[in-house]
Amino acid sequence: MNWLSLVANRLIWFLPTMLGLLAIVFVLSRVVPIDPALLAAGENATAEQLQQVRERFGFDKPLPVQFLRYVLDVAQGNFGVSLFTQQPIIHDLVARLPATLELTLVAVLIAALVGIPLGVLCGLNRNSWMDHILRVVTVSGLAVASFWFAMQLQFLFSMKLGWLPLSGRIEGFPPTPVTNLMVVDALIEGDGEMLGDALRHLALPALTLALPAAATVVRFTRNGVIGVINSPSVAYQKAMGFPRRVIVWKYVLRMAMTATVTQLGLIFGILLAGAVVVETVFDWPGLGAYAVRSILQSDYNAVMGFTLCTGALFVFINLLVDLLQAAIDPRGAA
Amino acid sequence: MTKTRRDALKTVLGSVALSSAGWSGASAQSGGKFVYANNSPYDNLDPHTIFDTARAASRFNLYDGLYRWVDNPPKMIPWLAESHSISGDGKVYTFKLRQNARFHDGKPVTANDVVYSIERIIALKKGAASLYLDAIKPGSTKALDAHTVEFNLSQPSAIFLTTVPDILVVNSELVKANERNGDWAEAWLARNEAGSGSYALRRHDPAVGWTGRRFVEHFAGWTGQPFDDVEFRTVLETNTRVLGLIRGDYQGADGYLPYDQIQRLKQSPNVQIIDQESMRVFILALNTSKPLMNNVHFRRALAYAFDYDGFIANIMKGSVNRNPGPNPNNIWGTPPGLKGYSYNLDLAREELKKVTEPLRPITINALAGFSESEQAATLFQNTLRQIGVEVVVEVSPWSVVSSRMRNAQTQADIIPLWKSTYYVDPNNWVGELYGTRYHGTRTFSYYSNPEIDRRLDRALVSSDQEERRKLYEEMTQIVSDEAAGIFVYNTKWYGPYSSKVEGIRFSPVSNGQDIRWASLKRG
Repeated sequence: MNWLSLVANRLIWFLPTMLGLLAIVFVLSRVVPIDPALLAAGENATAEQLQQVRERFGFDKPLPVQFLRYVLDVAQGNFGVSLFTQQPIIHDLVARLPATLELTLVAVLIAALVGIPLGVLCGLNRNSWMDHILRVVTVSGLAVASFWFAMQLQFLFSMKLGWLPLSGRIEGFPPTPVTNLMVVDALIEGDGEMLGDALRHLALPALTLALPAAATVVRFTRNGVIGVINSPSVAYQKAMGFPRRVIVWKYVLRMAMTATVTQLGLIFGILLAGAVVVETVFDWPGLGAYAVRSILQSDYNAVMGFTLCTGALFVFINLLVDLLQAAIDPRGAA
Repeated sequence: MTKTRRDALKTVLGSVALSSAGWSGASAQSGGKFVYANNSPYDNLDPHTIFDTARAASRFNLYDGLYRWVDNPPKMIPWLAESHSISGDGKVYTFKLRQNARFHDGKPVTANDVVYSIERIIALKKGAASLYLDAIKPGSTKALDAHTVEFNLSQPSAIFLTTVPDILVVNSELVKANERNGDWAEAWLARNEAGSGSYALRRHDPAVGWTGRRFVEHFAGWTGQPFDDVEFRTVLETNTRVLGLIRGDYQGADGYLPYDQIQRLKQSPNVQIIDQESMRVFILALNTSKPLMNNVHFRRALAYAFDYDGFIANIMKGSVNRNPGPNPNNIWGTPPGLKGYSYNLDLAREELKKVTEPLRPITINALAGFSESEQAATLFQNTLRQIGVEVVVEVSPWSVVSSRMRNAQTQADIIPLWKSTYYVDPNNWVGELYGTRYHGTRTFSYYSNPEIDRRLDRALVSSDQEERRKLYEEMTQIVSDEAAGIFVYNTKWYGPYSSKVEGIRFSPVSNGQDIRWASLKRG
């Protein structure tokens, strides 16, 4: 299977996957004991007005008809209007996606930069004191509650040491965005002060997200290295007299990375959709915070739009992971 | 206006002092920036669709009403209107607008803007609309001249004047220009501003909050060292708001933080806590329309089974005062010496013996994210179990609870929640909570009693303050005798502000978020 057919294969599955997701989200939104017409019309609406809203939005139609109508709207890029912001959902999502994307990218980058070398070291020094210590650290990293860890970081770095800001994306109200990725905007505008400010604000939330992610990366890289280090191909490279450094960082790492890359992709997807707690604690205006508010306010359209958006991103990231895996190990794509 | 009518008005207002005081013409020095961290999202700035007290900031800083509530006990002071008169039959209210009030774009505030604003409120049927829907019909409000507006009520209303501060006036020309398909510019005004308030909107990001710049030309003038810039941020996490106050990142935050956080803030030299007796009664609303809940003996058993003192002493850490009736302790309308109920399981069992129908599990629907509501539900579940009443506790967000409340059949048996101040009159509490006329909109109980309704009908049209006082006291006594609700405490407001801020004027209506009065301490 070449890359083109791999992409085609994944795209073929994209449509039914999204339809399935749409169906689940739609059904869940309709079993919640809230009248969507009432939310749209306002609490003082008369019975007559409620009926008008039901007819206008099609809430009076059977559920299958409502679902079909929703699917057709989504296909045209219309996710509906938020009942609370009164803006098209797509606008709300587009406005918030960069904040989450920036945070997640940095967190995954930290996880990879820290996790992969440590995983390799653990794999090469299996059952050594370093391996044992890192095992304890990684298990703790996976077990610790992110809101607790976030608060500890705030307490230490913001309150005690005063090195880093407590919350938000930037000091004061955000400037008018170019890409809405603060770091990128600062670079585009050549604003060193803004760049430093954006990075300082990113540090604590990104560290909070990166801890469990790095722990996962360490575990998978370690296992991958252990699986490869005793393989015949490595024995052959040793016999050929390749330096250990080259064997480890070029051949072993490449073969051991397949599972790690998959995990990084999954982590990226999970963090995109699941940075809810971290965004709330650090007052980070991203998709997670938007999802929390929408759920608390029972904003149907917004919740469905958020779920579809993150679902589509997840599918897209999985496709990228598949392509990356194929590049690392072409046997998998065959 | 006749002398009689003036006298009547004076009595109708009761505790409300209508005074022209409130500001002076002295010039102000330039101040700094005030950042307020709020636990509610500023996702919508429309003053006619947002009505919750948690987001009073956008309504009262960006917009002005005809009158304004300030201080505690609340006083109503003239604001966009200089004065008013009431017709002999109590149905026509005529307001004279001040000449020097301007919107942020420089356009004068006129009677046409007031007319458009009330028509918009009624048409959208959101926010404060329920206060006016019965009394004001579309098209009935007239602009007599540029600065005189006439409200023609469909029936006399003793509470209309107290609700006037919620008629926030928008720039009709600007709003009309942004209407789309007859939507009254609802989508536009959610993200933009068309007011004359003390601060003009600079930026709004629903994900972050909004910023405003001091409107130097505001008709009320400025004194002291007011803040030039205000920033209202949404910070959902309580711990982050508290740490931000201690660090000095925020100069203010919402005043209903958990008491342990207030105690934590009191330790910080950067923070001052301004405490005031508010008007926000914590009640366990009983859905009296349901079987068993419609039995007065069962309701009394419930009322005797709640551990009021334990809840206040242990859960609220003694930070609030017991409030035995539906009205806050600090407003008229409660009979002197009303005792209410106390925790007594023996009396509860005695009342329960008088219930002939079989018992069933009772559902308590607590508000998600409000620890006092959830803790009250758990506490009540435990004490009710001791008298043989099984309880199922459900926890739901407010939107779910309020949606269920629209229908007596879907509303839970008991809901622990607060009744906040929207206007300063006992009708805001005992009237709305127990009058049949408010079923489906502002009641929490679906309680119906002809004795209450008869008195309420009279109290809403009477211009005799003494008569109104007597009527509301009688209603309150009936509600207590009938155990139509379980009344626990009146909230104390602990406003956390930077120790460098002074001049905060708390009113239960604006919740300390009306920032025009605040300034930086000199020196």
